[in-house]
Amino acid sequence: MRPAAESSEFRRNLVGVLPRLRRFAMTLTRNAADADDLVQEACERAITRHHLWNGEGRLESWIYAMTRNLWIDEIRKRKVRGGAGTIDVSEQDALSVEASAEKAIYANQLQKMVLSMPEGLASVFLLVNVEGHSYREAADILKIPIGTVMSRLSAARMRFAAMITETTERRA
Amino acid sequence: MQNTKGLALEARLSAYLDGEVSDAESRELENLVARNDEARLVLEMLKAGNTFGDKAFEDFLHDPVPLSLVRRIKQGPGINPKAERVVKAAPRPPRARFWPRALAAAIVLLIVGGATGFIIGKTGNDGAPPASLTTARTWLDDIAAYHRIYSRQTEHLVEVPAEEGAKIEPWLAASVGVNFALPDLKDEGLTFEGARLLVAVGKPVAQLIYRNDEGNVFAICFLKGKPGAPEGVMAESIRDDIAMISWQKAGAAYVVVGPSADANLHTLAETVSTSI
Repeated sequence: MRPAAESSEFRRNLVGVLPRLRRFAMTLTRNAADADDLVQEACERAITRHHLWNGEGRLESWIYAMTRNLWIDEIRKRKVRGGAGTIDVSEQDALSVEASAEKAIYANQLQKMVLSMPEGLASVFLLVNVEGHSYREAADILKIPIGTVMSRLSAARMRFAAMITETTERRA
Repeated sequence: MQNTKGLALEARLSAYLDGEVSDAESRELENLVARNDEARLVLEMLKAGNTFGDKAFEDFLHDPVPLSLVRRIKQGPGINPKAERVVKAAPRPPRARFWPRALAAAIVLLIVGGATGFIIGKTGNDGAPPASLTTARTWLDDIAAYHRIYSRQTEHLVEVPAEEGAKIEPWLAASVGVNFALPDLKDEGLTFEGARLLVAVGKPVAQLIYRNDEGNVFAICFLKGKPGAPEGVMAESIRDDIAMISWQKAGAAYVVVGPSADANLHTLAETVSTSI
């Protein structure tokens, strides 16, 4: 395929995964404004590097991993700007960002519940339970050990189960 | 296959649900669930959590993706750099104690059976869903759903074919209560295929259907009334693979619907708004 046509097809495919990419970004950033910025940056990078996409596997896995890396970079920058100095790589997964009520204005209560989960749980649940990635694939995308995938996934499921009860109690 | 021995019970059962454990471990966990009430309860909670979580994540896909971003992607490289924003990282919040809450949840689940009831209530057809957990369905939601179905029809795309064009205008104008002129979109590369009469949020909606050379289906839909947006302003939204541009004019609401991968939808909408 000619490079221009290849690029055009890649961009069309990229548009097709946008809603899911944005959803994944929301699980990382836990607010819509940051998610939209992150999606835009990820798309820009994906387009400029589309020649690196080998066409095998799921396009979203490739873009998700890129998105996750960008977000980790962003968190690190914010930490540094905030005066916390440099961040050790081993601390990356433990970093937290503000998900205040002011920022997290969403029309849907279900979304609020998802975004209120402890960091890292929603992403794993989305990848494995909702989108059908294997544990290995989820671990590769998020750059975490499979054991962490397992523990976060079970924690996310138990959290959701607890939310059902909370919702039922509120309605009662 | 993962070896989950040594992990917490919920992690092991969670992996079992996903088919990520070996046959031997799977049998071991099935035996455990058969004879241990706590294991059975945890398994049920994991399943309930799955169902609830799936539903919650489905809602995210209903959010519109900024069409400006879609257009920039489709039109090639050079996406505008994002406006840099600085947000201070918040101190790490104290970790919520999880197990006491989970235990409370389990007790309530057992006593009230609320989990199953809630899920059935959310997904069944036997009553209205709780207002607090749903967003109001708009006419655009209905139009998107219709379009997704009709645009895949190969032999029965329309209700009244283009050959009967003379009948279409009076028929739809009378049915919907909106006078209109059938837009000629040949210059936009679109061929008129025919029309349908739909129902959205309980109101009759006219749908004019076009197709381009690549076989992609585009629709113009309109209804009488005021579903919400101020007059003259074009609103853009994306619903998965479908893009929509809607506006209001002279007491009617209009929307142009097409594949989200089409970069010229906005131009098309502007053409339609001046010619219909």
